[in-house]
Amino acid sequence: MGRQLIYVIAAICAAMTIILFLILTAEPVTNAGGSAHPIFAGMRIGGDGLARLEHIGSLGYAFQALLLSLIVAFATLGVSEKHRTPRLRAYMIAALIFSLFILWQMVSSHLNFIATGETTYFMGFPTPTAWAMYGVWLGGIPLVLIYTLGFRQFIYTDEDQAEFEKLVAESAAEGQETDNNPEEAR
Amino acid sequence: MEAYRQEIILGAVALYMVFCVVTGLWAMRRTSDASDFFVAGRGLGPIVISLALFSSTLSGFGFVGGPGLVYSIGVSSFWMITISTAGYALGFFMVSKRIRMIAELRNCISLPDVLAARYGSEAVRLLVAITIVLGVMGYLATQILAMAVVMQAILSGTAMFADIGLVACVAISSTVLIFYCVTGGIIASVYTDVVQGGIMMVAGVLILLTAMSVFDGGMTEATSIILKDDSEAIMPWGSAGIMASLGWFFVFGLGLAGQPHLVTKMMMNRNISDNRHIFPLSVMGYVLAALLWVSIGIIMRATVIDGVIPPLGLPDDAASVFLSVFTSPLLAGIVFAGLFAAIMSTSDAFLNIGTAAIIHDIPKAIWGKNIENELMWARIVTVILAIVAALFALYSYYADATLVALLGAFGWATFAASLFPVVALGLNWKGATVPGAVAAIVSALIINFGVQLAGIALPYGVSGGLLSFVVSLFLFLSVSLITKPPVLDRDIDRVMDI
Repeated sequence: MGRQLIYVIAAICAAMTIILFLILTAEPVTNAGGSAHPIFAGMRIGGDGLARLEHIGSLGYAFQALLLSLIVAFATLGVSEKHRTPRLRAYMIAALIFSLFILWQMVSSHLNFIATGETTYFMGFPTPTAWAMYGVWLGGIPLVLIYTLGFRQFIYTDEDQAEFEKLVAESAAEGQETDNNPEEAR
Repeated sequence: MEAYRQEIILGAVALYMVFCVVTGLWAMRRTSDASDFFVAGRGLGPIVISLALFSSTLSGFGFVGGPGLVYSIGVSSFWMITISTAGYALGFFMVSKRIRMIAELRNCISLPDVLAARYGSEAVRLLVAITIVLGVMGYLATQILAMAVVMQAILSGTAMFADIGLVACVAISSTVLIFYCVTGGIIASVYTDVVQGGIMMVAGVLILLTAMSVFDGGMTEATSIILKDDSEAIMPWGSAGIMASLGWFFVFGLGLAGQPHLVTKMMMNRNISDNRHIFPLSVMGYVLAALLWVSIGIIMRATVIDGVIPPLGLPDDAASVFLSVFTSPLLAGIVFAGLFAAIMSTSDAFLNIGTAAIIHDIPKAIWGKNIENELMWARIVTVILAIVAALFALYSYYADATLVALLGAFGWATFAASLFPVVALGLNWKGATVPGAVAAIVSALIINFGVQLAGIALPYGVSGGLLSFVVSLFLFLSVSLITKPPVLDRDIDRVMDI
């Protein structure tokens, strides 16, 4: 996956645009965005969770899955092409699978709650919300680890540093570094 | 101690403001040219940068608006903060290395400088600078107003300042802000950010511990009370529903890498290799500070539903009522100082990038050269910009809020939609073209302005910010793919290979 990555990103963006269009044109549901609380001014309620997801639930989940894929694709794009090794790709795919697993757990436990009205609690929150709260937060941790632990392997290697220092020295010699003039740098 | 609650809070805030003034004076001695004023001479260490980065991310909105949103719409607003780990990841993977490289190679002092170098286009520089100035005005006005309203609430609780007016509070808070920004520039700004970030982290943890002790059953009892009242409010999508939540997830996640006040700080570190430490430190700081957002909102909604306290007049009162009812005066003092810290750390960052756009980028884009004595003009324009924003804030409060609301649309979402593709993709894809960048910026501005002006409410809680971001990304990619690939400057081309 070298130069094709941008086409993958373009395809994901196109798919997200189409999904957003389908959601905007889907059959509307009253109070899909919530309604005023019957007792407490300033509070809003969600109401019927099943009805709100009836026409757009699957589209919303697909949108979120694509967004998680887009985040990983963007992060991969942020790695220099020469460092996008099979190992990096494996790490990125693992990071995506981890995020998608959290999404799946969150969605399935929420749908289970809607069907049964029963939920367990984890660290202060109903389990579906705990997946959203702690899980989504943790979903980005693999990217933190790839960046931090793989910094000298994928992000900014010793060779990269040497190359940049050489470039700075050459620019200084050419008198480019101070004039900040793109025309002269061509 | 309880009898002196207002005095203790006032003392904590006053102490904090004195610190800001002293820092400004200290930093003035380290500011000798425009590069020092705008990018701290690219000489800052990893701890300073990471604290400055996260404290600028979490503005006064996080301390006041955040808990208010949880009180109002439940879990929906969590999506703005749970995405932060991935959001910072994109900022570091896509922006931090190359923006720092180009800044050093071309001696850039602003984001438009870097983008003009990357695209070889003064049109891109001008468009980005104008977007920044519009956004800065809206952001600054709302932040100054928030600062003044909170200060009035604190001062009016004391016998000495019981009748103090909002204008006086705007004057006091703006004067402190202007003083340290003008004297010390970005150096004062980032070093105050360090203390501001520290206060915010401490406040976040202490508030969480306090919140967990409000109910005997801790947070579980609080969330179960909300669940019994309206299960959707405490379920993953909250009261606002799936698309409103995902809209925030999208805009706040991807959008972080397009915020000019944040990515500009990525130009200021001493060594590129420091990024491996800055990234996790920033994430950790943000997570700790954001605990306040989550815990106050949940507890306030639960206590009102349970009848422990009466309903709030406004959702944004959640934090101040929580502090007055459930915390000790000392903790309330720390959190109020943290609130001022959050507001000021964001305001000074905006003041800095707005000034750079006005005195450096717009003249350069139009006349092709820098103005004489940039440092002097930077100080003058910083004062003018802050005064205009303060007047603007007062006008919106007393006369007509429409204009600020309109410019408020130029907030996070517009920066995200218009600048993320141009910055984050542009720095990593050689095929990104000037027409693509122009299409992305213009479409984002038109959609955000259009939705705001026309007062359009999209179905299923889809926001104008989400729509404009998706369209902007799509246009940036498609227009770049169908237009002729650019010939990059030699040094930029080599940077993009590293």
